[in-house]
Amino acid sequence: MKQAIKHSLVASVASALVLSGSVAMSAGMDVPMIKVTPVLEGLDKPWDMNVRADGTMFYTEKCKGLSMRSPDGKVTNLYGMKGSSGYSSSGADLFCEGQAGMMGVAADRNFDQNRRLYVASTSNKYHGSGCKTNFERCDGNIVMRLTLSEDLKSVTDRTDIVTDIQYKPFESNQPFGGPGAHNGGRLRVGPGGYLWIAGGDRHRGLCPQSPKLLCGKVLRVDTNGNAHPDNNPPAGFDKRIYTYGHRNVQGIDFRPSDGKAFTAEHGPWHSDEITALVNGGNAGWDPQEMTAGRGACPDKYCGYEPDQMDGKDPAVRASYMPMSDTRFADLMPPTWNNNGWSQGTSSAAFLKGDNWGIYEGRLATGVLGIGFGGTPIGQRIDMVGITPDGLGINAITRMPLGFSKRFRGLVMAPDNSLYVAVDEGEIYRVTATSMQ
Amino acid sequence: MIKYLGPFALILTAGLSNSVSAGDAVAGDTRYHQSCHACHGPAGKGVSSYPKISGNSIEYTREKLMTYRSGQKIGPNSGLMIMMAKPLSDEEIENLAAYLKDAKYKK
Repeated sequence: MKQAIKHSLVASVASALVLSGSVAMSAGMDVPMIKVTPVLEGLDKPWDMNVRADGTMFYTEKCKGLSMRSPDGKVTNLYGMKGSSGYSSSGADLFCEGQAGMMGVAADRNFDQNRRLYVASTSNKYHGSGCKTNFERCDGNIVMRLTLSEDLKSVTDRTDIVTDIQYKPFESNQPFGGPGAHNGGRLRVGPGGYLWIAGGDRHRGLCPQSPKLLCGKVLRVDTNGNAHPDNNPPAGFDKRIYTYGHRNVQGIDFRPSDGKAFTAEHGPWHSDEITALVNGGNAGWDPQEMTAGRGACPDKYCGYEPDQMDGKDPAVRASYMPMSDTRFADLMPPTWNNNGWSQGTSSAAFLKGDNWGIYEGRLATGVLGIGFGGTPIGQRIDMVGITPDGLGINAITRMPLGFSKRFRGLVMAPDNSLYVAVDEGEIYRVTATSMQ
Repeated sequence: MIKYLGPFALILTAGLSNSVSAGDAVAGDTRYHQSCHACHGPAGKGVSSYPKISGNSIEYTREKLMTYRSGQKIGPNSGLMIMMAKPLSDEEIENLAAYLKDAKYKK
C-alpha cells in the first residue's frame, strides 16, 4: 500500500557545488541547491500529477485511476478504472493496455471555485462500429471533466468533453507493436484556461497528416471540449486541432515569459525532439507507406523503417523516415534534437521562480531511457535553455538528482517546486533554493 | 508457455540443461543492468508497458530467452526482445535466469 514517505533525501548536488565553488560564484551565477524528497512510493505506473497551492496533489496511475494526496499525506482514491478496487467510484469503460490507460490530469483554472478536474483516459465507450481492425477508425481515448465533491472524498458529474481521439486496438508488426501504442495523453491547462491535449499516432500511418482524425495531433479546446475560436489549422481540418504531424507527444508546457507552447516527443529509433508550436503548424511526422520515396511498410506503417527490427545508424534512419520532414512548407522545425538519438523523451515542464537561479525559465525534460542498437540509455531530466525565438537552445544541463529512473511525468507546483513521477512507482518533489 | 515454444525449443532446452552449469546470479545482475533494466525496471519488477520478469523459475526464463534468441515471435513486443536476446550466450542466459529468479525491487 502506498504511503507518504517521511524521510527526506538530499540529492546529489555535486555538479552544482563544483560550479558554485569556482566558476559560478566568481561570475556571479546563481546555481541553486537542488533537493529531492520522495512524496509517494509503491504506486502502480504513476503517470501525471496536478498540485494545488496547499500541497494537495491529484495523480493518475495508468492502470488504476485518479487519486488525491492531501497535504497531511492521506491518500483518497477518487475514480477508478475497470477492475480497480478501493475507489469512491469508477468507470467500467476505462481500461489500460500497453502504453495506454489513465494518463494526463489537469485542474481548471478556477478550480478553487468549481473544483473541476480534467482527466485523459482510454475508454471503450465510444468504439461504436469501429475498432474491428487496426486499419479503421477506433475512437478509444477520451477526456473527462470531473467535479471534486465538497467533502473531497469523491468525484461527480463526469462529462466526457472529448470522445474521439483514436486508439490502437490490436497488435501490429512493429517493434513496440502492442495495442495501445503511441497514445500520447498529456493534458495541460494553458493560457486563458484552455485545455491542451497531446496525442500520438497510434501506429497508423495516415494519422498525423489526416485532417479529421485526432491521432497525431495537439488539440486546444475549451472546458466543454469545443475548439478554441482562434485555432488555425489548414482548411478542411477539425477545428480542435492546434498542430498536426506529431508522432507521440507526452510533454507539453507553456513558456512563462510569453505563453508559447512547447512539446517534447519520442523519436523513432532516432531524433527525440522538443518543438515550439505554431498555431496550425505541422510537426512533420508522416509515416504513411508509398509516401516520400518510401515503398510498402509492415502493416502500412513506416515509422520504424528501414529494417525496423535491426540496429542501424540513427542518421540513416532519419534520412529515410524523418521525424520533422522538411518537404512540408508549414513545418515547425525542432527546437532541440537529442543528438540524433531516441532515448524516450516524455514529460516536460518550464522551471518557474527565481529559486531556480540560472535554471529559471528552462524546460525540464524527462527522458525515460531506451537503449537499443547501441544508443546510450540516457535516463535523466535535462534542463534545456530555449532561445527567445523558440527555434534553438542556448544551454542544456542534466538535473542533479542523484539517481536515474524512467522519468514519466513532470509538473510544476504553485510553490515553484517540480513534481516528478517515475515508472518505477514513485513521485518525488524537487526543490531548488537560490544560493544568493 | 509450452504451447508457444513447440518441440524445437524443448530440444534446445534439453540440450542446454546437459551442457551448461548453474547460472551466476551476480553476473546476471550485471548483465541485466546492461541490457534489460531500462525497460523492465529495477530487479525485473516491470514498468510502464514492459512486464514483470522476476520471480519466475530458471527454466521459464531460460526458455523464453532462448525462444527470442532463435527469432521466434511469442508476443507483441517480440521484435524488441528478439533484438535484445540475439547477442546473449548460453552462459549469459543462465546467469540472467539465476538473477531474475530471486530478484526483488528495493527503492
